[in-house]
Amino acid sequence: MSHRIVIGPYHPALEEPYKLELTCDGEVVRSADLRIGFNFRAIERLAETRNFVAAIALMERVCGICSNVHTLSFCQALERLAGVEPPPRARHIRVVIAELERLHSHVLWAGVAGKLIGFKTMFMACFAVREKVMDILEAISGNRVNYAMNRVGGVNRDITDPRPIVAAVDALEREVAREIVPVFTSSRTARARCEGIGVLREEEARALAVVGPTARASGLAEDIREAAPYAAYAEIPFSVPVEHAGDVRARLLVRVLEILESCRILRRALGALPGGDWRGPEDEIEFPAGTAYSRVEGPRGEVFYSVTADGENDTPRRVHVRTPTYANMPSVRVMLRGAQLADAPLIQASVDPCYSCTDR
Amino acid sequence: MSALDLIPGELGVSGFWSEDHGSRLLSAPALEVRRMATVMTAHRARFVTITALPGAEEGGVRMSYHWDLDGQLLTIATCTRDNHMASIFDLCEAADWIEREIHECYAVEFEGRPHEHLLLRPGQAPGLGLRGEDE
Repeated sequence: MSHRIVIGPYHPALEEPYKLELTCDGEVVRSADLRIGFNFRAIERLAETRNFVAAIALMERVCGICSNVHTLSFCQALERLAGVEPPPRARHIRVVIAELERLHSHVLWAGVAGKLIGFKTMFMACFAVREKVMDILEAISGNRVNYAMNRVGGVNRDITDPRPIVAAVDALEREVAREIVPVFTSSRTARARCEGIGVLREEEARALAVVGPTARASGLAEDIREAAPYAAYAEIPFSVPVEHAGDVRARLLVRVLEILESCRILRRALGALPGGDWRGPEDEIEFPAGTAYSRVEGPRGEVFYSVTADGENDTPRRVHVRTPTYANMPSVRVMLRGAQLADAPLIQASVDPCYSCTDR
Repeated sequence: MSALDLIPGELGVSGFWSEDHGSRLLSAPALEVRRMATVMTAHRARFVTITALPGAEEGGVRMSYHWDLDGQLLTIATCTRDNHMASIFDLCEAADWIEREIHECYAVEFEGRPHEHLLLRPGQAPGLGLRGEDE
């Protein structure tokens, strides 16, 4: 006899509210339904009531973890609309902040995964590493969550001396390679909890149009940094880790490899930091009528912004945001089909969901 | 010919792509959206999202369908007719949530799909949330 199990909206595995309704036969999940909207703040509508500069601060609050990708996407769209090109130094600084954000987000996720696997020591180790990444972000921007780094045409703060940041990144990379990578790549406990669990096949991933590490763990080599480079990514060589198994372990491996790749990108971006201006134009920028688009590879995948101006008012006429979790979360229904009930928390967490982003 | 060259003809659209601030844009007022979904998925384009913009010059809600084709962002724009639009949900499952959200926020009726509970808000009344108070 089948029975229904409702998890959420307040959830044991996540800080954010959403609801998962599972239909099970004994311990086996037969189907899953998702309910979102518990964090709906009508941010897109609110953006229509703010001027273009105030809307940057508003968009930073779409997400509490990947706040930078939202201001970066929004500012890039406004720059395209206004025909403004950020100076090379600003573009490199944008890469540095974006990769630090990816680092702390992936390490946070690794900690949560460790906890869900039943490896609480790993949770503590990951959060200790993440704290150091946030210290670097604080040293650069003065902030630990909303960095307020992006402005239209440049960045708000310079990196005056990259050497201590490079040294901190080197130390971080060693710590991750020594303490975190071995657990997730070779530990029998982690393997037993993740291998063959929550599989999303390549064709399913393609049909559901999933993005980011979720797509790359199912064999889709999609990364906006490589496919449609922005900021200074075209000038910085990097590789895109891809796995093919489509299970929780593959998603875990992709993120762990991306942590190490982010350290390499950071070193290259900081080592080749161009001189010159970083703030961009000081004069008032005009936004003509039209629509501009921007995409950024956030920690969870592609973030899409569409910004429309009417050319008359100093407020956007329309801002539309498509966040990566919005694209990825429906795939959890497929991953959960036929899974053991006890694996459900880990499977849904394996897409690294963010409901603050999703609901906006 | 590349997929980009072929798509307008396959959609039955006489125009061609133009560059529009970060996307290739194809304006197609008489677009058959279900044909578009079939053509784009046949070319292995990835569905990105739909942007709804009320008060379009053509009247109704301007509907911009965004796709990724080998890293290129493509936008195919059309308009609702009497606030109705054919659903592509059964042809492109990834369009499920955004169709529901546009129905919820702009009261666009997507034809040919089941009517479900609201996605983002409690209650049953569509057409609230992102529209101005005067609408």
